[in-house]
Amino acid sequence: MMPRYLSANVIFGLTPIVLVIALWQGLVSFGVAPTVLLPPPGLVFSRLLQQLLTWTFQEEIVATLIRLFAGFAIAVIVGVSIGVAAAASPVINAVVRPIVRVLAPLPKVALYPALLLLLGFGHGSKITLVAADALFPILLSTYYGASTVEQKLVWSAMAAGTPRYEILFKVVLPAAMPSILTGCRIGLVISCIVVFLAEMITSTDGLGHALVTAARTFQAVDMFVPLIAISLLGLILNGLLGAVRSYLLRGFPDA
Amino acid sequence: MISPAALVKRTAPVLACIGLLAIWQVASLGLKSDSFPTATDAVRAIPDILGDKESLINILASLRRMAVGFGIAVLLSIPLGLLMGRSRAVSAFFNPLLMVIYPVPKAALMPIIMLWLGVGDITKTLVIFLGVSLPVIYHSFEGAKAVEEKMLWSGAAMGLSPLQCLVRIVLPAALPEILTGCRTGLVLALITMITSEMIARQSGAGNILFNALDMGQYDTVYAMIIIVGAMGICLDAVFERVRTRLVRWSEPQFDMPLSFS
Amino acid sequence: MPSSEWVRPLTSQKPASAILEIDRVSQVFQTSARKEHLALSEISLTIEEGAFVSILGPSGCGKSTLLYIVGGFVSPTRGAAKMKGQAITGPGPDRGPVFQEFALFPWKTVLGNVMYGPRQRGVRATEAEAQSRALIEMVGLKGYENFYPKELSGGMKQRVALARTLAYHPQVLLMDEPFGALDAHTRTRLQNDLLNIWERDRKTVLFVTHSVDEAVFLSDKVVMMSNSPGRIREVIAIDLPRPRRRNELLLDPRYQKYVVDIERMFDESEEAGAPL
Repeated sequence: MMPRYLSANVIFGLTPIVLVIALWQGLVSFGVAPTVLLPPPGLVFSRLLQQLLTWTFQEEIVATLIRLFAGFAIAVIVGVSIGVAAAASPVINAVVRPIVRVLAPLPKVALYPALLLLLGFGHGSKITLVAADALFPILLSTYYGASTVEQKLVWSAMAAGTPRYEILFKVVLPAAMPSILTGCRIGLVISCIVVFLAEMITSTDGLGHALVTAARTFQAVDMFVPLIAISLLGLILNGLLGAVRSYLLRGFPDA
Repeated sequence: MISPAALVKRTAPVLACIGLLAIWQVASLGLKSDSFPTATDAVRAIPDILGDKESLINILASLRRMAVGFGIAVLLSIPLGLLMGRSRAVSAFFNPLLMVIYPVPKAALMPIIMLWLGVGDITKTLVIFLGVSLPVIYHSFEGAKAVEEKMLWSGAAMGLSPLQCLVRIVLPAALPEILTGCRTGLVLALITMITSEMIARQSGAGNILFNALDMGQYDTVYAMIIIVGAMGICLDAVFERVRTRLVRWSEPQFDMPLSFS
Repeated sequence: MPSSEWVRPLTSQKPASAILEIDRVSQVFQTSARKEHLALSEISLTIEEGAFVSILGPSGCGKSTLLYIVGGFVSPTRGAAKMKGQAITGPGPDRGPVFQEFALFPWKTVLGNVMYGPRQRGVRATEAEAQSRALIEMVGLKGYENFYPKELSGGMKQRVALARTLAYHPQVLLMDEPFGALDAHTRTRLQNDLLNIWERDRKTVLFVTHSVDEAVFLSDKVVMMSNSPGRIREVIAIDLPRPRRRNELLLDPRYQKYVVDIERMFDESEEAGAPL
């Protein structure tokens, strides 16, 4: 029975999560860790709920989300275009390939000080950093997907009278979609992480800034809240993208 | 003899570096901004940093923590990933937990862990360890899952115990995928290291960067960026070399583009 | 040298009804920096309009490559292929391929796949849909219009691929081992259905296969190819009555003789040392 099997698995899988929370609670209850350093889980989650309802915290979330989406959107547009172009044209490929090989393993966060100098401390520098970090997984998987499109799909479309320039949009892009969306998924989680870190390093608002503010005043509870908030955000966005993915790829096998 | 085409192919990354520096040079000359020194100025500042004993010790200490964190993470993550890949129960047990941990920004744990363990090496190494673990577990898991059942049957028929199967069949068969995970992990280790140092602002390469930024030493900022970037590129290149050597037997990795025109 | 009456040197008078002419086509593949592989050597062949022609040969004899050259997907190293006197320079809707790998668009439903060609040629959506539905019914897939390819079996996928190609009315069907990936039972069913569909309008078909039975059962003539380099060995006219019924044909001594003769010819070349 599929459903019973699944629910058994779910309970099984939830065990370690419950264990972690129990251990956390235990550390506090048995006085191993003082509440100042490790607030009990109940306190953290009720604080999170309470914060979610306040206007100031919502503003922090909005600031983070704006940067996150702007950076991610730029990364998707640039990454997919360059990826497809590099797969389509040997000349572009020859130029893009070595540049990507050099830039992909470069720790983008090291560029952050330069971005601060060039674009200021506002949205611009953080959006650029997010875009730079999310760009490469999207670009590489688009390239991979576009260059491994089954040759005979292309031939079939050409024989049916599709002009060469339309092949790109009618065959290559849809056929590369599973790979593109995998790249987007990785890029999205990276975006979440990077925007938060950038806000922690220097910012005046956003969830990352909220953590740093709490750390300066040793408010352990308030340090946990933004961290959990950004992780939840990551999970939710990941889930949403998963839903979009299964809709877009409904025709593909094992999507 | 190397053919000209192969020569271009081999030197392409170097050419790309030179090209990027040239673009930087032109852009900075065009902008004429104090906060955007030319590439030559930045390159000229590199010997000063590497010649300075304190910053050199700082950077080397960073690298040592990175190596330790990366090493421990790899040693623990590969067995866990392989077990998850071969046992449905183990993967059902750990997968949800790992999925929950996945979107947590590991470097952001720095202030919290600092609160508990102070600002010593342990804290910094622990953060790097956390950053590296997940991709290595994930790729080992995927690699072990993809091992062909028939290969294990052959092993079992030859009298290998389950543990021997894991070490002598699953591990080598999953090696290409595991090394891909390690490569991602290595770059992530460097990123986590720099980021956590930027957040903690105690010591290390990330700290040098922001100190220079605060003091307006822009040449130093850009020189440090080049140094960190070079570390990333070199680590990746060296690892890639080791990787191709180790998995020479496997199917050639996707490399040549297949033009669709 | 090919000795059959069906292969005419191109210098001689062309038959009036020739639709495809392949003129001394050679294909060389670069296998590595220095090595070259001669896949096809000086192939000349004329195909009459309305004929069902099979290209039969061992794997690696370049028979698919020859089909791709006619399709315009691959350009020959030397020589030329012509369609109705016009040199073939690229793919076009006058030559419709059906591949062993089906090559259906996974993001489109059965109906979407079949409608693709007509829509591409500017047929109005409602009209294209009506035509496509009729074709889907003809290949025996009525009721599956809104299924995705992944939900279909191999045989059904190949039926969709055939309908998709027929939908843009090509003058020549290029079939590249279309039943090669199917199980024996499905294969015979599809062979029968293909013949039934073909009997209706007798389009020209170029059919690549490595199965002797299949080639004899379906074709008007069989082009036998030999290996490395790919050459035409023999062209055999299959003089069997149409419409062909499988159960009658299998008992027909003429059919059996064709099969045995062709198999013997392949065996001989094997004994002569030509590697398979």
